[in-house]
Amino acid sequence: MTRLVRAELAKLRTTRTAWGVTAGMAAFAVLTVVANVTSAGRQGAPPLSAASLPDLVGAPATLLSGAVLLLGILGMTGELRHHTITQTFLVTPNRGRVVAAKLITHALAGLAIGVTTLAVTTAVAVAWLTAKGVTVSLLDGRLGRVLAGTLLAAGLCGLVGVGVGALVRNQVAALVGVLVWALLVEGLLLNLLHAPGLGRWLPAAAAAALTSPGGAHLSRWGGGLLFAAYGLGFALLGTRFVVRRDVT
Amino acid sequence: MPVITIEGLTKRFSDVVAVDDLSFEVDQGTVTGFLGPNGAGKTTTLRMLLGLVAPTAGAARVHGRPYRQLADPSRHVGALLEASSFHPGRTARDHLRVVATAAGLPLTRADQVLDQVGLADAARRRVGGFSLGMRQRLGLATALLGDPAVLVLDEPANGLDPEGIHWLRGLLRHLADQGRTVLVSSHVLAEVAQTVDQVVIIAGGRLVTQSTLAALTARTSQTVQVRTPQAEALRLLLAAQGVQADPADPAAPDQLVAADTTTEAVGQAAAAAGIVIYEMRAERSNLEDVFLELTTTHGGQQ
Repeated sequence: MTRLVRAELAKLRTTRTAWGVTAGMAAFAVLTVVANVTSAGRQGAPPLSAASLPDLVGAPATLLSGAVLLLGILGMTGELRHHTITQTFLVTPNRGRVVAAKLITHALAGLAIGVTTLAVTTAVAVAWLTAKGVTVSLLDGRLGRVLAGTLLAAGLCGLVGVGVGALVRNQVAALVGVLVWALLVEGLLLNLLHAPGLGRWLPAAAAAALTSPGGAHLSRWGGGLLFAAYGLGFALLGTRFVVRRDVT
Repeated sequence: MPVITIEGLTKRFSDVVAVDDLSFEVDQGTVTGFLGPNGAGKTTTLRMLLGLVAPTAGAARVHGRPYRQLADPSRHVGALLEASSFHPGRTARDHLRVVATAAGLPLTRADQVLDQVGLADAARRRVGGFSLGMRQRLGLATALLGDPAVLVLDEPANGLDPEGIHWLRGLLRHLADQGRTVLVSSHVLAEVAQTVDQVVIIAGGRLVTQSTLAALTARTSQTVQVRTPQAEALRLLLAAQGVQADPADPAAPDQLVAADTTTEAVGQAAAAAGIVIYEMRAERSNLEDVFLELTTTHGGQQ
């Protein structure tokens, strides 16, 4: 399994997609800091204070999750799109092992992109706040929770992306499906069900328990476990019913 | 001892039987041409052999085992399938290094096989910019990565220019001389005729014949066309000698076609009987004719 994960990591490293996502996320992270710092204290936004740091650092979390999810979907469905799945299965005929290696790899990639994004955000935010005369502490408990929650969400999104990709072979369908689900369907379901207690069990809400905890969401641990279960569940179903199909 | 065993192999897609109760064997150290017209079921057969497509019935084995049960299959079987199965954004060298990593092979193998197929200069170029011939070479490099004793190549000559086909023949011969077993498919017999020891011909998903190339060559025949004012007399004379001769064309009653004979035999018989001959020529059917005849008669049964 180690060599399969190493091969999957090499696949990510040797095309431009993963680098592009990482660079894009880092740039977006800087933008969020700029936007949040410049708007602080205006139009009802709270002024900058020592408590601003966790908010600044956690701002790109949702987009980060989405980007890693997308990368996971591309990692799985791209093999079908480019027919590289033929070579992959020739080397590793046990298809379950291929999916497992991709799950691990994209969880690791999510963590790596998360670390990069958070490091950039934290560095820019700390420097700016300090320059504005705000004293910040990196040992702040809430900052630690934001960092941990964002990282965990990013890692698990890699897992879920691969799971979705295993279940929905068509790349465009998988990407559009995830977008429509997260932006539209889950919200509609919540309204239709009239049962906010059920809503927190849906996948996007489970992920949100990590990135924006509180409210009606599950606890961090509960949300994280549930979100991971979604990812593994998709991957299992996909491996059982979809990935084993003929490769023609 | 057979290295590849195909036994009663059948594949039914929703409404088409692509491969129909196919059986043949490939012996160790031989180069076998797997021939048939487009749509005969060659690719489906090879994909079943390589564990990519699940057979509806029957079995395909390498070294007595289904491919999917081989430990480290890349070290035993090298495969070339379609020429398009590369990520366009990855360089040739990186592609091979990814495969080598997954197969547990040393990364240095990537540069060795690139040299072997003459792609060393393009090693660091992205595959998206490769010509079909270069992709075919990269596919062969991938197949050779694990230094396998068995090679399964699906239409390796596709997209190669004449120089490339010449190179491919040399490579196949070289691999065979090293004692490797090669199963190479093609829809053009001439592409592989110079290289193969035996042929497996299929049409309509069924086996037409499995024979040595020599036996196939023996099936080529020679006919003699004769123009003579005494066509009927010559026909009877040849028939008495056991040679079948028929009018070539009802509109030209002075022309005969004699099967499986030589101009010498017809000329001597005619001279001995005092028959006048105006014109005579021999026509030899070639391997391609035999191939065409075999595949069209059998493929037409569907």
